[in-house]
Amino acid sequence: MAIIEIQNLKKSFGKQEVLKQITFDVNKNDVVAVIGPSGSGKSTMLRSLVHLEKIDGGSIRVGGESLVQDGIYSKPQEIKRITSKMGMVFQHFNLFPHLSVKENLELAPRLVKKESSKDIQKRSTELLEKIGLSNRAASYPANLSGGQKQRVAIARALMMNPDILLFDEPTSALDPELTGEVLQVMKDLAKDQMTMIVVTHEMGFAKEVANKVIFMDDGEIVETAHPDKLFVSPQFERTRTFLNRSFK
Amino acid sequence: MSIDYILSILGPMLEGAQMTVLLFLVAIVISIPLGFLLMLAVRSSIKPLSWMAHTYIYVMRGTPLLLQLLFICFGLPMLPVVGEYLVFDRFVAACIGFILNYAAYFAEIFRGGVLAIDKGQYEAAQVLSMNKWQTTTRVILPQMFRIALPAVANESVTLVKDTALLYAVAVPELLHFAQTAVNRDFTIVPFLVAGIIYLIMTLLLTMFFKWLEQRFKFE
Repeated sequence: MAIIEIQNLKKSFGKQEVLKQITFDVNKNDVVAVIGPSGSGKSTMLRSLVHLEKIDGGSIRVGGESLVQDGIYSKPQEIKRITSKMGMVFQHFNLFPHLSVKENLELAPRLVKKESSKDIQKRSTELLEKIGLSNRAASYPANLSGGQKQRVAIARALMMNPDILLFDEPTSALDPELTGEVLQVMKDLAKDQMTMIVVTHEMGFAKEVANKVIFMDDGEIVETAHPDKLFVSPQFERTRTFLNRSFK
Repeated sequence: MSIDYILSILGPMLEGAQMTVLLFLVAIVISIPLGFLLMLAVRSSIKPLSWMAHTYIYVMRGTPLLLQLLFICFGLPMLPVVGEYLVFDRFVAACIGFILNYAAYFAEIFRGGVLAIDKGQYEAAQVLSMNKWQTTTRVILPQMFRIALPAVANESVTLVKDTALLYAVAVPELLHFAQTAVNRDFTIVPFLVAGIIYLIMTLLLTMFFKWLEQRFKFE
């Protein structure tokens, strides 16, 4: 069953069309990897799902509810409710630098969720354990490595109990030797059946973890397939060219 | 330069320093919150409010503080009709002048602090379902104050020294007593003593702000 339905998404920045008729579905428990060259519109597409970008035309439905229908957005309250089903992890982490790791995790649930403080603390303790950073609960982001920061950012998103987790190039700002620890956390999430959309340059991750790979180029989806198919026998020349360059 | 002489002038000079400290405290305690409100007005989406705040800051930063003090002390009472209601005690008038002037500078410092915050902070707060008020009070303002702290410290030290402008509107403060003693006794010792008292005040202030910076280092 489709948990996200995207139809004919269109967006321009001035005269430049960055998204041209993007259409695809995401099913529950899918791990979708979105790959493609820089400037292909992958990040813009992802950001439009949580209303960080406004689209000019098309429809987005999440969990059967309409965020935007034929370019017309729902009421602000509806938008808030619908986007709150999704969590987002950013390339540059965007942790709150003035709060400790534990406070980063607990701030939003405390303000937004109607939960007891005890439940929130219990969850943050569990999540910190899950990402292997229990001993850093009192640290500030400035004292963490990039990989640790991104793991905290993932835990912070999970604190809101999202149905879907979006990743915008989660390892692109990391030193190569630190990407492994972040990808491991994401693999564990996939194993726990979390629905994920991952914009990434990590072909290895896409190959190993995703059950669906979308190749975007120049604002459109060129090819969508299971990784076994897309990486082994791509159907289009553009896909082949991109993959050849990526694996060189 | 005998110790006895220094001790004899120290009494009145410290009395003058009290006035300096009092003006400093009144000005800083009121102008910082006022500057904060002014910064909010500048950033407001209500255009006339933002425009008025901009104009206010332009005028306050674009004219000398001394001119503003003279205007409030001696200019306002000369206005037709309303003038007679605008005669203030000199010290009160000076406080008003300092507050109005420094609020404009603090507003700009705070605005710089807000601008320095990465837009990713707003985006993170948004995807965590925080509303505008929560984002502002829990994410943006704490970081703004931290970023603004060194500039606020700098401006506060300037304020301590600017209190010497009270001399121009004949409020007896530290420099006034020093000048009187210099004229009367024909010696520069009172100026040196005044300088040392200013240095002690700015040293204490600097130490206080260093402590604040350390306290809110977030490391």
